Amino acid sequence: MEQNIQYFLIPFLHWEMMLLIWVGVFAGIWVGAIPGLSVTMAASLLISFTFSWDLNNALALICGVFVGGVYGGSITAILLNIPGAPAAIATGIEGYPLAQLGEAGKAIGLCTTVSVFASFVGILVLAVAAPIVANFSLKFSPRDFFLLAVMGLLLIGSIGGGDPIKGITAGAIGVLLSMVGMDPSTGELRYTFGNIYLMAGISFVTAMIGLFGVSEALTQFRNAGKSSPKQNLDKIIPSWATFIKYLPLSIRSSLLGVFIGALPGTGGDVAALLAYDQAKRSVRNPSRPFGTGAYEGIVAPETANKGAIGGAFIPMLTLGIPGDAVTAIIIGALYIHGLKPGPMLMIETPHLFWMIVSCLSIASIALMVLGLLSVKPFSKIIEIPKSIIMPVVIILSVIGTYAIQNSVVDIFYMIGFGIIGYFMRLYGYATGPMVLGLILGPMLDANYRRAMQGAENQLIPFLQGFVSSPISLVLTLSIAFLLFSQTKTYRRWRGIS
Amino acid sequence: MEGSEYFMDDPKDSVSGGSPYEGAVVKDLSVYVPEARRKPGELGITAITFLLGAFGYYFALDMTSGEYSSPSVFPKLASTVIMVCSAVNFLKAIRRERPDASSPSVAQYLLPMDVVVVLSLLVAYCVALPYFRFIGSSYAFMVAGMIYLQRGKHIVRALLISAASLAVLVAVFRYLFLVILP
Repeated sequence: MEQNIQYFLIPFLHWEMMLLIWVGVFAGIWVGAIPGLSVTMAASLLISFTFSWDLNNALALICGVFVGGVYGGSITAILLNIPGAPAAIATGIEGYPLAQLGEAGKAIGLCTTVSVFASFVGILVLAVAAPIVANFSLKFSPRDFFLLAVMGLLLIGSIGGGDPIKGITAGAIGVLLSMVGMDPSTGELRYTFGNIYLMAGISFVTAMIGLFGVSEALTQFRNAGKSSPKQNLDKIIPSWATFIKYLPLSIRSSLLGVFIGALPGTGGDVAALLAYDQAKRSVRNPSRPFGTGAYEGIVAPETANKGAIGGAFIPMLTLGIPGDAVTAIIIGALYIHGLKPGPMLMIETPHLFWMIVSCLSIASIALMVLGLLSVKPFSKIIEIPKSIIMPVVIILSVIGTYAIQNSVVDIFYMIGFGIIGYFMRLYGYATGPMVLGLILGPMLDANYRRAMQGAENQLIPFLQGFVSSPISLVLTLSIAFLLFSQTKTYRRWRGIS
Repeated sequence: MEGSEYFMDDPKDSVSGGSPYEGAVVKDLSVYVPEARRKPGELGITAITFLLGAFGYYFALDMTSGEYSSPSVFPKLASTVIMVCSAVNFLKAIRRERPDASSPSVAQYLLPMDVVVVLSLLVAYCVALPYFRFIGSSYAFMVAGMIYLQRGKHIVRALLISAASLAVLVAVFRYLFLVILP
């Protein structure tokens, strides 16, 4: 125990590590805020120029960027309705109406505070229960991941706007578009029409930038006469009472985020969407109706995606399996430095585990300070006239899209999705479900087919699996409950408007 | 939410209409299309989504099939859902009243002048990108966009702001974050 505390204190005693964590958080906030520039990309860039560094310093910087980057994605979602990353899509649903009401500062302030809380929840679970969570997450079979993706698709009810049928249409189009490209399990080409650019599929980040960013800019041009709302920045730090009010929701969503983050292949994006949906179903008296600027709709996704950070490290540090793309890159960094991530990592190099826990803790503290300091300058962005900010937003979207795989073709895709998104908005089709379909489509397809192959392509054994495995049974019942909770009977019973 | 809230003039149609949060609704100033009526081109859009589903299904027939785990299962499923939902959307739209005589035409509704100009600039920007590189084409796009959107006023301001924004973008992305620019 004493030894572990010593390991934990390493970053506190080395000023250069401390400095690198703060620099990482600062850079991460800005990288995360730009649509298309992802934490994954930043982490992979960092590997390239930190491979000659001391491992501790490299990890300190990467941990800082990770924590800052996940937070930064929410800022543009709140201010401009353009999520910096898929994990921030749910935040924009409530955050943007708040910015339109002049409450962007308050929204970002609350977002920062609950984010720091959730980061610590994730770190606490990582420090205390990592092996238990990791072993449990490995018990998830392809059928369970399929059920998780189905659960995600049910979110269409929450983010699909007023008309559920239009939401389902948009979601199904997203799933169909996600099928474009080479099938990863058989290599068969689907919907490529002999075009080599389509073989790699359609990047959902490109689609997200177009559907949210460009279509938002085009929509704003229709409202060119409307002046930008003046932001109230008098009180950005939420009161203690406000924090306590949202504490139960924060704890629930953070733990959901930790668990989803710990599942290999799922990350903050799925966690945030599930948490938003859960909040929408369970909160009886939101601060405002959901969809018009409910603070609960910011607290839930933000705590979930920050909890997912700690969660993603759990399988990585205990089993050598990445929880998400960034931890996959960190595994690469460990290999470069001569370490072998796997079950022996915690036994052979316990200092590494406790040092990462410590780096994430310092990064969370840095996030509190740097996040709150950045509220005012960020909030001023929204007061800039649209005629000036929108051309700059479009150029930023171009940079972000090109950065994904250095392809000009992606820029054309982005513009195409922007035009599609603009038309969709005009006819009341929400763009969120389409992005959801693009994100969850491959997860649905691959895991359904794996599960079916596991049942030797027999329908009855496949269906029996839903009740014979305890995890599948719980997930199936959860889906049944989610469907039931959308009925009028349930809402009347629970007194939800 | 985002799809419907922008284009409502009647507060009764708004999700937050009549509530203290009415400010959350962004009104569209360019056209007026009452919600009780069909929007111009609404039937067309349902036809397009139906055709998309039909094409999706048709081309999925070329994929390997025959087993429950075939690569064609989800493409066919998604296409079918699109077609069914589009049919429902079509029926719902056709039951509503036609757009009234004072409504804008489909083209005017979809593409007001500002949107047409910005989209044209965007396409011109993409075409110019390989020839004038990132800095030249981005600067031209920003200057032209700002001048047009400010209705020809503040030309010097547009030139200066575009130059400053581009300098910051290049410094941050190219030299700080080492991102390769188009």
